[in-house]
Amino acid sequence: MSTVFKQQKSKRDKAEGIVAKTTEDTPIFRNKQRVLLLSSRGITSRHRHLLSDLGDLLPHTKKDAKLDSKSKLHIINELAELNNCNNCIFFEVRKRQDLYMWLSKTPNGPSVKFHIQNVHTMEELKMTGNCLKGSRHILSFDKNFESSPHWLLMKELFTQVFGIPKTARRIKPFVDHVISFSIVDNRIWFRNYQITEKPLEHRSVTDTTDLTLVEIGPRFVMNPIRVFDGSFGGQTAFENPEFVSPNVARANVRNSKAGRYKSRMEAIAKKDEKIKDAEMPEDPLSESNVFA
Amino acid sequence: MSDSESENEQRLTLEDLEGSDAEMLSGDEDGPMDILTQQRVTINNEPALKRLREQIALPTNIPWSETQSITSAQAINVTDPDDDLNREVAFYNQALEAAVLGRDRIRKEGGVFERPSDYFAEMIKTDDHMAKIRQRLLDENASIEASERAKSQRELKKFGKKVQTEKRLEREKSKADALDKITALKKKRQGNDNSTNADDDFDVALASDDDEMKSYKTGDGESKKRSSSSTQESRGKRHKKDQKFGFGGKKRFGKSNDANSSADVSGFSVKRNKSTSFKSGHKAHKAGGAKGGAAKQRPGKGRRQNGAGRK
Repeated sequence: MSTVFKQQKSKRDKAEGIVAKTTEDTPIFRNKQRVLLLSSRGITSRHRHLLSDLGDLLPHTKKDAKLDSKSKLHIINELAELNNCNNCIFFEVRKRQDLYMWLSKTPNGPSVKFHIQNVHTMEELKMTGNCLKGSRHILSFDKNFESSPHWLLMKELFTQVFGIPKTARRIKPFVDHVISFSIVDNRIWFRNYQITEKPLEHRSVTDTTDLTLVEIGPRFVMNPIRVFDGSFGGQTAFENPEFVSPNVARANVRNSKAGRYKSRMEAIAKKDEKIKDAEMPEDPLSESNVFA
Repeated sequence: MSDSESENEQRLTLEDLEGSDAEMLSGDEDGPMDILTQQRVTINNEPALKRLREQIALPTNIPWSETQSITSAQAINVTDPDDDLNREVAFYNQALEAAVLGRDRIRKEGGVFERPSDYFAEMIKTDDHMAKIRQRLLDENASIEASERAKSQRELKKFGKKVQTEKRLEREKSKADALDKITALKKKRQGNDNSTNADDDFDVALASDDDEMKSYKTGDGESKKRSSSSTQESRGKRHKKDQKFGFGGKKRFGKSNDANSSADVSGFSVKRNKSTSFKSGHKAHKAGGAKGGAAKQRPGKGRRQNGAGRK
């Protein structure tokens, strides 16, 4: 809404002859990113907590209501436009079990669909770190991200979506946590650590630095499925050949269990046939024929 | 928006490809398609990916503090993704390296890195949550300590028990040895009773300086069995009790007659039988505990049970 107002205002100003202020000759690029956080209906509690954790971590986000339809995803583009966002994280939950995450640059940029596994939210008591709500973090990328163009594209997306711009409203000063993305087993692993300085007493000889990391959470694993040309649709630019849909995986497990019964029945049928084939004609010299 | 090398559907069979140029379909990194098998063609449109990236990329001349992103110097190479420890260590090292480099760059660009200890602001996890975490850590430590203490106590008990049994066995062994020595000497002495043996005067074996032998010689200590306070009475009582409750021998028909006892007429005296004035009555008996007659009066129950005299 604010962009519409500004547009009308500048039009009116121009019409009235007011010259817009130019502060400098060369425009300073300001990194303006705003992320829309959405989910579909049928989201489970763990995934809901993950979404709210991401909203807490990233102060340049805006949470929106649940999206009704799972097929007409292009309306998300309009929602983002309404909310003045140029990025979107959309959690699509299927069968109340499988979580898919869409990451997209909304008006017409590329989008990526991931399958999320191994979700641990910030609430888990084993993760003991803590940080300021809204402090700008350091992003850490694995060198594997530079090995292929699809990884490079995802790295760029992460930098813009998960990297907090200086112009965000709810940021706090100081840097006290680092978010890391690593590639292992063709998947992207997400970790969030708090940076603390070790006091002199606890430092040992083998330490190279005085900093220690404590995990804050959340942590999850992203398995890329497809990279699309447009936002929530368009031509596929990359398809992950190793991706196995969770439905297919579950079906395989069930079929293997059924396969045991099937193979046993087949073996019995084969045995019956074999016995039947092995029947020989009556031998005229057999005992029953000679001593009738 | 299809590029020159853009791809088409999956699951192509060779028949579909008859008319087209097979090279056009080499979107995969691994060369021309296998002629014989049906192969899934996956899409990896590298030029398109590059173009998309350039389309969205931030300008390269912006200061680093806009994005604060650091790429690690070494690629992570974990052989087994299920090996939790090594994998997490690799992630930790990558993040730590980034934190160190990031701190240097922030300081160089003039930003502030550390949070001062008196800066209080809203944290991502509430104070209640942090208290829960702290409580859980304390409970874990306490349970570990308790189990360690219980384990050490069990070990000590086992050890103590072992020592106790060892000591007991040792003492019993020494006692048995000493008794054996004494009985052997006694036998030797009995055998040599008639002859005067000069060695007896010296009595080397018994006069040894063993501690156990000393205790048996002087008679103090725990050996009550060898005390000399065994009177005739106590010997008789013991003998009676052994007869009644000991092993061997008949106990059930103790009050009935057998051949020997019925043939025993020692309790009968003709004179006594003829002397009592009122034979059938019992007034004479009742008159007094005085002995009427030469025969001895039957002793009381107590004396009978304690085995006074014979039987």
